[in-house]
Amino acid sequence: MDLASASPSSLGNLDLSKLSDRDKQELQQFVMNESQKARIQASIHSLTDTCFRKCVPAGTIKKGAGALDKYEEPCMRNCVDRFLDANFVVLRELERLRN
Amino acid sequence: TYGKMDGLGASGMSAFSSDPKTQVMRQIQQEAAMQNARMLVEKLNEHCFERCVPKPGSSLSSGEESCFTTCMEKYMTAWNTVSKQYVARIQKESQQGGSGGSSF
Repeated sequence: MDLASASPSSLGNLDLSKLSDRDKQELQQFVMNESQKARIQASIHSLTDTCFRKCVPAGTIKKGAGALDKYEEPCMRNCVDRFLDANFVVLRELERLRN
Repeated sequence: TYGKMDGLGASGMSAFSSDPKTQVMRQIQQEAAMQNARMLVEKLNEHCFERCVPKPGSSLSSGEESCFTTCMEKYMTAWNTVSKQYVARIQKESQQGGSGGSSF
């Protein structure tokens, strides 16, 4: 999460200098956790984008078919798993090329 | 429907605290929630416009509008499926010691 994009006026009014060391540490931990959660959320958005294109065929959406059918649902789940497998392959290959 | 999708939120902070620390924490969570909502709206619009409005006319027909409703439902169901699968996968990999070293 890009904390720099948080509006400065809303955070700038707060006096953080008076926070105890313990509070500062707690805040730091909190920010780290929230950043990770935001990264995960962003990944989920990106994955849904990619997998929706692959798994839900292009063209007009059928009327009233709001749920994923018995082909689309497993496709979405496989898509997530295969994408992460592929991610691992990429990292592994890059590491190999580095050495 | 946003509540259904927010599997990663909710810290359970007291609603009455107004000390600087809690204010910052709440602010950060709000920013994250807004960012999440922005991304969702962007993707919904993109996907459903592509599918439901193949040839833009002078207005949106009622058929196109109901296509949007169905499309949005479908996309959000897909989002939930991906979210569950993804989180389950990360948890599994972190339990296995992450020897794969994927960076999430």
